Amino acid sequence: MDELLFQDIDEPGLNTIEVYERRGGYETLKKALRELDGEQVLAELQASGVRGRGGAGFAMGTKAGFLPKGTMDKYLCCNADESEPGTFKDRELMQKNPHQLVEGIILASYAAGINKAFIYIRGEYDAQASILEAAVREAYEHGHLGENIHGSGFGVSLVVHRGAGAYICGEETALLDSLEGKRGNPRLKPPFPANAGLFQGPTLINNVETLSNVSHIVKHGGEWYAKIGTEKSTGTKLVSVSGCVQRPGNYEIELGIPAREIIFGLAGGPLPGREIKAWFPGGSSSPLLTPDEFDLPYDFDSIAGAGSMLGSGAIIVIDDSVSIVDVALRTASFYKHESCGKCTPCREGTNWTTKMLQRVADGDATPMDLDLIAGVQQQIMGNCLCVLGDAMAMPVSSMVNKFRDEFEAHLEAARASRTPLADAPAKLDLVGGLVPGVIA
Amino acid sequence: MNDDVKRDEATARAGDVADQSGKSSVGETVRPGEDNVVTDQAAVAIEEPRLQYQSPFTVVDALPPGYTKKPAGEPERKIISFTIDGAEVRAPEGIMLVDAAKYGGVEIPVFCYEPKLGAPVGACRMCLVEIEGIPKLQTACSTPVRDGMAVITKSPRVIEAQNGVVEFILLNHPLDCPVCDKGGECPLQDISYGWGSGKSRTTEPKRHFEKPVALSDGIAIDRERCILCYRCVRFSQEVSEDYQLVLLDRGAGAHVGTFDGSQYIAPFSGNVIELCPVGALTSRAYRFRARPWDIEQGGSVCTLCPAQCNVSYTVRDDKVMRTLARDNNAVDDGWLCDKGRFAYQAWESEARITTPLVRQGDKLLPARWDHALDVAAAALKKSGERTAALAGGATTNEEAWLLRRLMLEGLNSPHIDSRRGGKLSLDVARTLTQPALTVSVPDIEWADAVLVLDSEPVDDMPILDLRLRKGVRRNGMKLAIATPRPSSLDANTALVARYAPGYAGAFAQAVQAELDGSGDVDDYAARAGADAADVRAVAALLKGAERPVILWSERMLYTTAGAAPAQALCNIADRLGVGEREGAGLMQIPIQANGRGLREVGFLPNIGPGLTDGQPGRTGMSSDEIAAALGSDISALITVNVDPIVEYPNGRTWAAALAKAPTVIAFSTWLDPATALHADVVFPAEVGPEKEGTVTHPDGRIQRLRQTVERAGEVNAGWWVVGELAKRLGLDLGVKIANQATAQIAAGVPIYEGITTTEIGGTGVRWQERGAASNLPAPDATTFLLEAPPAAPQPNGRLRLGDFKSLWSGGEVVNAATLRALASGPRRVELSPVDGHRLGVASGDTVTLKTESGELSALVALRDAVPAGAAFLMTDERDGNEALRAALAGAPELIEVVK
Repeated sequence: MDELLFQDIDEPGLNTIEVYERRGGYETLKKALRELDGEQVLAELQASGVRGRGGAGFAMGTKAGFLPKGTMDKYLCCNADESEPGTFKDRELMQKNPHQLVEGIILASYAAGINKAFIYIRGEYDAQASILEAAVREAYEHGHLGENIHGSGFGVSLVVHRGAGAYICGEETALLDSLEGKRGNPRLKPPFPANAGLFQGPTLINNVETLSNVSHIVKHGGEWYAKIGTEKSTGTKLVSVSGCVQRPGNYEIELGIPAREIIFGLAGGPLPGREIKAWFPGGSSSPLLTPDEFDLPYDFDSIAGAGSMLGSGAIIVIDDSVSIVDVALRTASFYKHESCGKCTPCREGTNWTTKMLQRVADGDATPMDLDLIAGVQQQIMGNCLCVLGDAMAMPVSSMVNKFRDEFEAHLEAARASRTPLADAPAKLDLVGGLVPGVIA
Repeated sequence: MNDDVKRDEATARAGDVADQSGKSSVGETVRPGEDNVVTDQAAVAIEEPRLQYQSPFTVVDALPPGYTKKPAGEPERKIISFTIDGAEVRAPEGIMLVDAAKYGGVEIPVFCYEPKLGAPVGACRMCLVEIEGIPKLQTACSTPVRDGMAVITKSPRVIEAQNGVVEFILLNHPLDCPVCDKGGECPLQDISYGWGSGKSRTTEPKRHFEKPVALSDGIAIDRERCILCYRCVRFSQEVSEDYQLVLLDRGAGAHVGTFDGSQYIAPFSGNVIELCPVGALTSRAYRFRARPWDIEQGGSVCTLCPAQCNVSYTVRDDKVMRTLARDNNAVDDGWLCDKGRFAYQAWESEARITTPLVRQGDKLLPARWDHALDVAAAALKKSGERTAALAGGATTNEEAWLLRRLMLEGLNSPHIDSRRGGKLSLDVARTLTQPALTVSVPDIEWADAVLVLDSEPVDDMPILDLRLRKGVRRNGMKLAIATPRPSSLDANTALVARYAPGYAGAFAQAVQAELDGSGDVDDYAARAGADAADVRAVAALLKGAERPVILWSERMLYTTAGAAPAQALCNIADRLGVGEREGAGLMQIPIQANGRGLREVGFLPNIGPGLTDGQPGRTGMSSDEIAAALGSDISALITVNVDPIVEYPNGRTWAAALAKAPTVIAFSTWLDPATALHADVVFPAEVGPEKEGTVTHPDGRIQRLRQTVERAGEVNAGWWVVGELAKRLGLDLGVKIANQATAQIAAGVPIYEGITTTEIGGTGVRWQERGAASNLPAPDATTFLLEAPPAAPQPNGRLRLGDFKSLWSGGEVVNAATLRALASGPRRVELSPVDGHRLGVASGDTVTLKTESGELSALVALRDAVPAGAAFLMTDERDGNEALRAALAGAPELIEVVK
């Protein structure tokens, strides 16, 4: 397979417009503006079948088609708040080939009749934000952005906005609130962003990788793109492999290859003398899979069929040196820390789960607590305002169910080693600290 | 439909969870006593269909409390049918499922949902229900009902989700119900009882915060009890728009507070106490004073300002413990201002007059009722037709009616007035009262353009401020504010116009000139001290609107321009054609709480009840004329809930006049200057919860005050006191209970003809919507030819003087513990930074304000929004001192400010 997004990704200076243009960059844009109208570009995107690379896997062309027609302010938000643990593909794309993204944003805007675009990048990606800012500046200077681009009559502005480091701001509606200058809380849907998004205007929100695909789709045509990958998971996918493997890193694969090829082929398999126990197929919010599932085709539907999800394409590999109890606690703690607190099941459920898992990790629990933990996850799943609650409940639930034996063994070991009277009194976790003005 | 099918349906509807779980399929519904013959009588009884719950809602009740008809601008909703738990229900299309379910008698539990707060947020997840065809459970608070929808609220899946949410909410709730003020009236208790699983599975320690913390003088916050429903934050952000309350931190650590930890001080802050569905936000004045099972609620109307919000007094042991809002969307939308909410504390303060007082030498001494009444009656008998009477404030229609009869029939004196200044022109009064030319409060909300003229709503009629914000935020209203002083609503407006203080009339004439070419707009605008472009923009906004509304302050009538400002309003109403348009029109914001009622029952020197002609040859003196005649043609003055020294613009004239008056009889709550210095007999006045009677809202809604507590001390009913005085003058007013006075009004005021307290009910009735409205006499003229308006003087180095009265003034503020700190403080003058720089003064400096007649000192407050060349002096009722009165005598238009 030829690399698409990562083609010559390590060429020095690719992040500058000179190198990008020398390699044929922005030619697709010019050609599209010259020869195609927006509807035709949209048709190519729809024909390509490219699905969102941010996690949900919704067909991008379809989503772009939801935007109402007509003259009004329409917005595009590139979601560069890559914060799902285990995911680091967008960082490399933005750092090494920012113009591929910018060109994709312009083309997508053209396709959906959008006139204002934003890149919402997480605050921690400081260097990448600077690179993007430089790239956007260059694109303006070369006439690829602004009013009346290349005499086509089409114009779009692009602003790079830095987030302040909240995981929830990667949720599309929380991202919109944050971009509007509000506290980043998810909004109730409907209305969906395509109808009432940023500043209540029609808004298209796509991930960095998705938008980076756009120039390639338009260049070669949607049909060409649709031939890559499987029928329902077209194209290539960047996979971030991390954890207990020999060669962690980003790999571009054709969707549908067996997961084994990624984990054992590209990433080199487990460290010497170790055995893989479990793996997250799509970031820390995807339910765990086991070695039995190495031969699953790595595409959206196959992974979903196995009860997990492809998500952002972040494979986290866990070997036998790692306690699943620790993985569960670490995962739950992350989501507890990142819950925005707006809806009850997520706010309380992540907090409660973490407290219970802490007890389990401390050995201060019984197998009945495991039932309770599993039950609480059921109470969270599907009942939250956004998917953050599910993002904890799904993996934790899979861990407790699939690795019940390991949890029980952990508890049994702790029980056996416990000395009487070792129990510490329950701690009060005082959240607000001492507040002046206490009355009564 | 045959009978069998009907029975099937009835059984299916009556069936509960068991039927939902699919145990009996369609067509196999078990019919008791028919298909399955059971011999055990007890078993048959159990199988019988349960009695159907009778829903209190019907489709006719779709209108919110207080609405008699839908405002013209509000979109129509068609009635659709959907099923809920198998029963077919009809409801207005597009309302949220939570509300639609009530039409079928089904309650869906909610915490965060509160329609008063605007769009739902779906945060608490308590209202999850199943909708056929949608795989995930949906929040009923945010799902609009559609025709044919099938909703299930009692399936095992829904019940499990509801139990789950209750369990989550209770995880960190302290469950300190026995010592919680909310206990017994707590939605969290009710919902835990009704929709919780009834057991607790958590063993983890709960979250802890320091508590309770003073959010402000009025509100305590207990963050452990908080369930983070967002209601208070949404109120602050989206209703009162004071933007003070926020959610701090996130996740399980999220908590409510102000951004920088400062106090939550805002005119409507107390509403968050009522919004809170748990005991997290409590009234500090009410904390630990009562439990719900030893209190009673008594509905009445707040009469501290013309807004006349509907309230419910919480009473324990015959004492008011707190004031709650009583939802009446046609009046107040269910909100209260903090003054109305906390004023009850003042009524128990030492400062209140609770016994009759009679002057002996220079002292007012407590007296027995008989003695006070005898002294007063003797003085009145002596003075006879040389008696005058002024009424104001919260004086009820009944008190005014009886006092009017006492004056006319008992003393043969027509010298009664409820207004300040000169006489009201009959034509203007009738024109501006025409039902077709006026609007109701809900009409304001749905108007597409509103002009606020010469009023600061938050000070003059606070609750109107929220209604305007709502119109702008939710209904796309375009708001124009035309005031001399910057308004707190400026930020919400489509346009802002400023003019010289006191020249609202000239501004109105300029707008009229733009509409009909009756004058030179540039010249008129210059005379008003306004920008001609602003005038044109206001005119264009009103002209372009389908339902324009003008809210104008009664203050406009009391300038040197006489009747012209009101006549200009009549002309504008005519030019805009509001008479032919539903939902368009004018509304006066009166100065007195019952200003409209006093006027309409005929407490005027020249106009009869219901704006009928005055009696020929018996035209009385206006308040200005009374002041001039005191001590000569007038020898006795009765004041009811009004202190002319403090409240009238020509207070100094009044101070001098009262000194000459042989007899002054005052009905008063507080020892205001006129009362304290000049009254010979003082009758203690009733306050809100002690009062029985009716008042008239600025939009014509007649509302009923109901007594909820025994009168304090020796206080007697106002109607009784007037009746006793009349008796001593040989006149029987025929009133033994308050209702009899209402009946007299119903017989004597043509536009109120036949009204009864039953008809008024709990939410009032607009007389314009009754048949008797046709008894309003038609005006001889509805438009007027006007001369060019007077021109505002040019400052030439001096400053144009305007004044304002803060919401936080009056006896009810300074004597209420919660509000005292908000009381307006030292006398303040607001200047623009430009003038501040020119004069070399900064905020906090003391300056001297000089006029021809005197001088006084004031603290400077520089405000960016104050237009250069103007100064605004805060007048406070407590500030009735001679220096202020002297400086303001003759209503100076220009002052000199000296450092």
